Amino acid sequence: MEMFEYSFMQRAFVAGIIIAILASISGTFVVLRRYSMISETLAHSALVGVAVGLVAGFNPLWMAVAVAILSAWLIEYLRSEFALYSDAVLAILLSGSLAIAVIIVSLGGAFNNSLFSYLFGSILSVSYEDVVTIAIFGSIALAALLLFYKELYFIAYDEEVAKTSGIRVKLLNFLLVSVVAIIIALSIRVVGSLLIGALMVIPTVSALQYRVGFLKTTLISLGFAILGVSAGMTLSFYFSLPSGATIVLCVLFIFIVSLVANRK
Amino acid sequence: MMKFKAPIFDIKNLDFRVKSQKILSNVSLEIFQSEYIAIIGPNGGGKTTLIRMLLGLDKPTSGDIRIFGKKIKNFKEWHKIGYVPQRASHVDSSFPATVLDIVKMGRTSQRPLFGSFSDEDEKHVHDSMTKMDVLHLQDKMVGTLSGGQRQRVMIARALASSPEILILDEPNTGVDMVSQNRFYALLRKLNKDDGITIVFITHDIGVIADDIGRLFTINEKATICNNPKQILSCDEMSELYGREAHLLHMHKHEH
Repeated sequence: MEMFEYSFMQRAFVAGIIIAILASISGTFVVLRRYSMISETLAHSALVGVAVGLVAGFNPLWMAVAVAILSAWLIEYLRSEFALYSDAVLAILLSGSLAIAVIIVSLGGAFNNSLFSYLFGSILSVSYEDVVTIAIFGSIALAALLLFYKELYFIAYDEEVAKTSGIRVKLLNFLLVSVVAIIIALSIRVVGSLLIGALMVIPTVSALQYRVGFLKTTLISLGFAILGVSAGMTLSFYFSLPSGATIVLCVLFIFIVSLVANRK
Repeated sequence: MMKFKAPIFDIKNLDFRVKSQKILSNVSLEIFQSEYIAIIGPNGGGKTTLIRMLLGLDKPTSGDIRIFGKKIKNFKEWHKIGYVPQRASHVDSSFPATVLDIVKMGRTSQRPLFGSFSDEDEKHVHDSMTKMDVLHLQDKMVGTLSGGQRQRVMIARALASSPEILILDEPNTGVDMVSQNRFYALLRKLNKDDGITIVFITHDIGVIADDIGRLFTINEKATICNNPKQILSCDEMSELYGREAHLLHMHKHEH
């Protein structure tokens, strides 16, 4: 294929497929735990890391991972220790993070295409270092999910019963949000922080329409995410469309087909 | 099952307050192995709170809980306690879980960190599904089952960890009468044949009065009735429930 003659497309495809795997597998837990809004909030928190990286000259992706993890811990701490409306906490952190990111970038004079590419994703900008970072952190995140998937599944189904059976629910909740934070921070290069939440949630919600067991749901979600990302990047290349938005429209199309095909 | 002679649960002077409101005060109870205990009391009387403290979900304001002789904070063998919560028969119908997925959850905490389910795990899962008569439903999505079937699946999950005690918090809300009777028969069998200790919060005391050994009434304070067959005429019952006691009495005569 013509597009693979370009090295930037090869890098983007490798990064994109890794992200599709990570986003869909973690997305299953995110959706079942009703954490969809947390993923949106973490995506915005990651932008603070990107802003610090751009202004201070550090690797924006590494900074995004660090800030997203800290933000995930803050959310989990606030949710478990204070009787606050959890969706309100998320809304506050989401807009607060975006505001901080924009202020940092404009104070540092870096309000340019660089930040824009992190907001909406850009396949042109995926460097070799980015691919390596995505592969390293992605493997760690995936290993953590696979190691504890049975416990995380039980917690998603019934947190209290899981706790009474001896599962360390609090610790695993922290682990899950940390893993989700890492995956989101890694994904914003290709999909963009405004759109990554969709890549996490839509393939799983599409897979849920088929009403099958957990393992099959996860595999269908994985298939949909890989299909959506591959189709999105291909269309993005041939029609000069922004990658993140095209990927999201592709998974959205898969969702609509799944919804109609499984209508009661 | 090795007989544990000391109380499985030894609860002393338990208080639970939310701000200044007393939910439980000075509750002391002992639960021994192979007992069948029913807990009754008015809504808001503290039954569920007591159970939540026994399961380590809530911490008492003061007092002492020992499980199998160990202080609750040092107790680690939670797989010995099976719990079927109040909402057992209500399931989010879109949750992607087959009956087998759900029952396997019961073995999750005993699984080694780096490993899948062993043959022994699979055997316990199979046995508990057989016992609860849900083996034929194992590939069905749990959201498509009837209330009675779901209830049996939830008990199968609790049994999968080979518990020595089963705690059930009114799990039969929304379950039809035939399924309820079948459910009571299963509990009786688990207690008599397998020696599993049963602690059962219920409003339906009339139906199980013949099965249970002791009855605890919880209404901020705990009252222990050692002869539940006479409970229906107990003064405490009328005090506890008011008009409801009369209705319970009638219920008993219907069976």
